Amino acid sequence: MTTGSSRSRTMWIALAAVLATIAAVWYINLPPEIVKATMDDVRVEAEKGGYRLVDIDTLAELYETRRDQILLIDTRQEWEYRSGHIAGAVVFPMEPTRWARWRKKGELKAILGPDKQKSIFFY
Amino acid sequence: MFRYPEGYPQWQSKGLPVAESKAKPLTDGPKSDLTGSFTGWQLVWTLIGIFAGGLALNLTPCVYPLIPITVSYFGGRSGTGKSGLVGHGICYIGGLSLTNSFLGVMAALTGGLMGAMLQNPLVLVGIAAVMIVFASSLFGLWELRLPFWLTQAASKSYSGFFGSFFMGVTLGVVAAPCIGPFVLGLLTWVAARGDPLIGFVVFFTLSLGLGTPLFVLALFSGRLKQLPKSGEWMNWVRRLMGWVLVAMAAYFLKPILPVVMQKYLLPAIAIAAGWHLGWLDKTTATFRSFAVIKILVSIVCLVAGTYLAGNQFFKGPSVRWHQYSDQLLADAAGQGKPVIIDFYATWCAPCRELDDITFHHPDVVKFSHDDYIMVKVDLTKQGDRRYDRLLETYAVKGVPTVIFLDTSGHERQDLRLVDFIGPDAFLIRMVSLR
Repeated sequence: MTTGSSRSRTMWIALAAVLATIAAVWYINLPPEIVKATMDDVRVEAEKGGYRLVDIDTLAELYETRRDQILLIDTRQEWEYRSGHIAGAVVFPMEPTRWARWRKKGELKAILGPDKQKSIFFY
Repeated sequence: MFRYPEGYPQWQSKGLPVAESKAKPLTDGPKSDLTGSFTGWQLVWTLIGIFAGGLALNLTPCVYPLIPITVSYFGGRSGTGKSGLVGHGICYIGGLSLTNSFLGVMAALTGGLMGAMLQNPLVLVGIAAVMIVFASSLFGLWELRLPFWLTQAASKSYSGFFGSFFMGVTLGVVAAPCIGPFVLGLLTWVAARGDPLIGFVVFFTLSLGLGTPLFVLALFSGRLKQLPKSGEWMNWVRRLMGWVLVAMAAYFLKPILPVVMQKYLLPAIAIAAGWHLGWLDKTTATFRSFAVIKILVSIVCLVAGTYLAGNQFFKGPSVRWHQYSDQLLADAAGQGKPVIIDFYATWCAPCRELDDITFHHPDVVKFSHDDYIMVKVDLTKQGDRRYDRLLETYAVKGVPTVIFLDTSGHERQDLRLVDFIGPDAFLIRMVSLR
């Protein structure tokens, strides 16, 4: 291998690395898509995940009668939680991305607490 | 995947029990990131870098050729047995640490006395110039030479553990042309921070980086033969350290540069360093891994520079800012919209952080379009009379200062900001205004 061709090979590698970095940085800085969801989307998603959907009145009744047997988890951002949340709920902020799902796995266990008898409600 | 945050609003509209959490009060943080102490991840990364710097300094022309001799010196003194070698190694590192840490603490204390002078642009330019001068020495433009009597005294050899200790103490003198400029540059940086504890820790870490290879080689003296031969490549390492000093000088100058240069000077230096060290510099060595290391280092520099420049270039939309006017505030109060006033200056580092991070956050940007009026006031020019009344009304004492006015135009004093906070904390304050 002559010096000339190895030098141009390293130039190509460097150029590739720089272009890959530019592409990665551009992608990371894209503004997040705001996806407007409907109730039907929610129903489909709940079925896929095996979750039950509960309406406000049912939850309100449970809240009044069996307060200590339910655990309410607020999944909105912390600033949304602070400006107003269901009294007694805890905050577990999560963005709707795969990255957040992977990152937050361990923390969810801590939030759920030791009592396995409680019913858990996410909102 | 999507969000469907309708649960809470429906609950609230039915009048069911809700609760709020108040925003936590802010504690005052450091105003400038050039001075004072720093902890956490920043400290860890800095120390790792300095340890690596110490390791790299071993590869310079003044130190590297001496390594085999020094190691055999340890071996010769102790006779046989590993414990003697360990003892010598520890004494060597001890001597190194003593000199360097002492210099570090002294520099920090001296710098600490200078205090506010470091906000002075002339002083910053002076410091940067000093670092560039030292960098030019590492690039080979001139050699640092200490007085002859000093070098003579440092080259004396003593016996026993004290001998090894003395070698550590005087390495800085003996290897001054190579180590000197970098150490002096680092001393300048430590002096600027003014914190003796940081001064000690930084230079102790440097000493560990400098002394550890020798220590390890003393324990595995058989491996000495496998070390690469000295050569021109050692000057390449010197040039690399020169670029590190150039980058440090740019970092010092950052606050007083125009905004475009603040964003792109350091990335430009990284890219220039990568290009110079990888392609313009034609050094080769007899051992093959040098070519690999050379390419790797230059690619890392290029990628780092591109990453930093790219993050600035591709930044998403910022907050919708309004120009200040009394009429604007009156209109906002009339419409019942809260107002947020950001007082900033181009030389203020936390202001730039607020701008880069918090004011580019999508939720903050969204609020700024409809529900909030956000105003930026540029206080960079001293003696600008336009904003005098405004500054007086709100008793603005420095930058950054972020004032929060509620829907009727009165200030919420408890929410006022004088330092950087992240987007989440900022959003919490924003919603407290409603």
